[in-house]
Amino acid sequence: MLTQQIVNGLALGAIYALIALGYTLVYGILAMINFAHSEVLMLGSFAALGLAAFAPAAFGTGPLALAGLFAAGMLAAGALNAFIERFAYRPLRAVSRLAPLISAIGVSIILQNAVFLWVSDQSVAFPQPIAIRQIPLFGGAQISSLQAVTLAAALILMALLHFVVEKTRIGKAMRACADDLEAAGLMGVDADVVIAATFFIGGALGGAAGVLYSMSYGSTKYNLGFLPGAKAFTAAVLGGIGNVRGAVLGGFILGFLEVLAAGYIPNGAQWRDVIAFSVLILVLLVRPSGLLGEKLAEKV
Amino acid sequence: MSGARALLEVRDLAQHFGGLKAVDQVTLSIRAGEIAALIGPNGAGKTTFFNVLTGVYPGTRGEIFFDGSPIRGRPAHEIVARGIARTFQNIRLFSDMSALENVMVGRHARSSEFLLGPLLRTAAFRREEADIEARAKELLAFVGLKALGNERARNLAYGAQRRLEVARALASEPKLLILDEPTAGMNPTESADLVALVRRVRERGVTVLLIEHQMRVVMDVSDRVFVFDYGVKIAEGAPREVTANPRVIEAYLGQEAA
Amino acid sequence: MKGLLHSRRTQWVLLAAALSLPFLARALEFSFLTRVGGVVGLLMLLSLGLNVTLGYVGLFDLGFIAFYAVGAYATAILMRAHVAAPLAVLLAVALTVLIRFLLGLTILRLRGDYLAVVTMGFGEIARLTFNNLDALTNGPKGLQVRPWRPLAFLGAWKPLEFVRKESNVQFYFLIVAAVFLAAEASRRLEDSRVGRAWVAIREDEVAARLSGIPVREYKLLAFTLSAVFAGLAGALFALWDQFVTPESFIFWESILLVAIVVLGGMGSIAGVLLGALILGGIPLLMEATLSPQWIDYRYLFFGVILVLMTLFRPQGLLPSARREAELSS
Repeated sequence: MLTQQIVNGLALGAIYALIALGYTLVYGILAMINFAHSEVLMLGSFAALGLAAFAPAAFGTGPLALAGLFAAGMLAAGALNAFIERFAYRPLRAVSRLAPLISAIGVSIILQNAVFLWVSDQSVAFPQPIAIRQIPLFGGAQISSLQAVTLAAALILMALLHFVVEKTRIGKAMRACADDLEAAGLMGVDADVVIAATFFIGGALGGAAGVLYSMSYGSTKYNLGFLPGAKAFTAAVLGGIGNVRGAVLGGFILGFLEVLAAGYIPNGAQWRDVIAFSVLILVLLVRPSGLLGEKLAEKV
Repeated sequence: MSGARALLEVRDLAQHFGGLKAVDQVTLSIRAGEIAALIGPNGAGKTTFFNVLTGVYPGTRGEIFFDGSPIRGRPAHEIVARGIARTFQNIRLFSDMSALENVMVGRHARSSEFLLGPLLRTAAFRREEADIEARAKELLAFVGLKALGNERARNLAYGAQRRLEVARALASEPKLLILDEPTAGMNPTESADLVALVRRVRERGVTVLLIEHQMRVVMDVSDRVFVFDYGVKIAEGAPREVTANPRVIEAYLGQEAA
Repeated sequence: MKGLLHSRRTQWVLLAAALSLPFLARALEFSFLTRVGGVVGLLMLLSLGLNVTLGYVGLFDLGFIAFYAVGAYATAILMRAHVAAPLAVLLAVALTVLIRFLLGLTILRLRGDYLAVVTMGFGEIARLTFNNLDALTNGPKGLQVRPWRPLAFLGAWKPLEFVRKESNVQFYFLIVAAVFLAAEASRRLEDSRVGRAWVAIREDEVAARLSGIPVREYKLLAFTLSAVFAGLAGALFALWDQFVTPESFIFWESILLVAIVVLGGMGSIAGVLLGALILGGIPLLMEATLSPQWIDYRYLFFGVILVLMTLFRPQGLLPSARREAELSS
């Protein structure tokens, strides 16, 4: 029973972690909550859906379909996120900290309603490119093929992100900007490019999460992004917002919490979000900068 | 000057951050009515010392007596109420408020009208408010910003901002005014004006303790000088004595060589 | 312009204009207008409340709607327990204030966005609790509240006879009065030592502390006081609608309030009122006036308006005016 819950928690947590990374990457550089991120992941899932609908023969089932769905979802979400940054956030960057937040809320409303009006106001079936089977694990637990794909995809993407951030030029520039945007600019880093790249990468991770999330539910909807988005944001804060490892840790913790609450507490399914948020509040009261966040010293 | 009565007594004060001894074993006293300067190379712990005095940091060990009562570890706002006010190395004004309002905020500790007074606009409230405003205006005039009261603080010139900080600090009617590098970034004329202002502050009966890097200013304005290096006090005395002290010279030269 | 906006006379003119709305609606035979006015009024009351914490002190609160919910549910439950309506309002406001005080006591040491996420979490906890606590709140099905006609007595006067039966108009007048009082109280606090301390904390917390302000206490004060506005709005809402469900208190509502305060102008009473009028009124008016083929587009338009307003007036519609002092004395 417990092993089964751990498997379920890992799969759910992996999705939260991917989304949380998008929040935390952006926050790390701009100290801004990208409220439109949940809609970015929703649109990622619709882009993948669009590809499957456009060429059902090629992208209906099989590994190619799977790869195609991911590619479409990630590219679309990444590009969209960078596009939003360019037109809705960048003009406000120097103005105030709260203005971009409000513009993000506006973008979020626009995107949801655009899909609601012009695509569908209902749930839409999402392609299932791999056959659903239960794979037995140790201790009587099982992992579904979908969960296995989710975990594998999340791990590959996290490894990829790690490589990009730690080993590439753009990753180095990203870290410099996260450290001190102004100083990085003075050292010749083109902050605009780095920020655009960060939004693209964060959006692409969100797009992958959107595809995984809709695959696991078998459908997608114009408001699909809100719930996982809000929870992943919570996860990012739980881990220490701005901290990449913290986002992953927070995502998995939140996934476990939810699964365990639903599994072990009477009426747990009903109360699991209450439990998740309560844990968040308690953790922050004990560790005001999150689990892995740096304690900010007050400079006087 | 009220002679040699100690206004501030610091005994064996320390502030450690993990293994770093930012301030250690500092013992000194400031006499009422004097202008004292704190000098030392960068990173010597001067600002940290100020931060412990004013309640930003709690201090790790030792005692601080101000006007006879212990204040180490007391909350910052309480220390202000007891009579220590300060300015900051990097100017920290309430940038969206007007210059006058900045100074009025400084009177917080010397006023008391709370919820009901403001809400009901009682006579006592109106009296106190008028008093706060009058004193704030007087202080603006005192630091030479009389005409700029309605300007937002962020729109003031650099030198004016430094003066405004002094006015805001004076609004709490401190017995001891602590200035953290008041002449930083100023040209010689501005520095000279500020030195004159510091003297006039002392003439109001306020004791002054300042961190200063420009030796000319230190020699010019201070009665006594304390020298910090690596968190400890290495010398104190009249300006001439201190600058002749070999340990002080070494501390400064050592820094330049590094 | 600024002088005009903040003069006392403007204030009375605006009040008179607000009070005449039901008569205008009656003359135009567009009674929905009064309803819109009441809804916008509640939003104004809530926004003025959030303005105290977010606008003055800069405390980023993403769960303010939870306290609207507490006020509304407390009123509904008390009304069902046959408590007299005015007493129910009073108790509901007191309870809202108490809960916010206790929350503030625990979470206010968190900073910036951490505070935002914790208040968001609290907002969701409150909503879900109301949703799940069937025994007390009847869950998603909601609570019915017995009718109360607060200003029926006005109908005794001939020109106001129509008011006797119209609960919309009665509550509209009550809400206008509440907004007026809230704005006046905000103005008086703002223009005092307390308000200056709040804004100082927003501008630079460290400098505020070192200017003698007990920052923790003043944050808690602002946080707690804002609950008076929220609790009162919730109580009026419950009595007016006679029906309370968790659906009215979703996260989106908290976001809307933040948008109103920021877009109106942080700490600016006139700005916040205008922000509530625009952001609250636009969707409702679109609902009432757009032709059927466009009505589904209203939220899309709303989003576009939000983005454009932010891009063109990032400092807010009416940024707070600093008081002008007579300096030539």
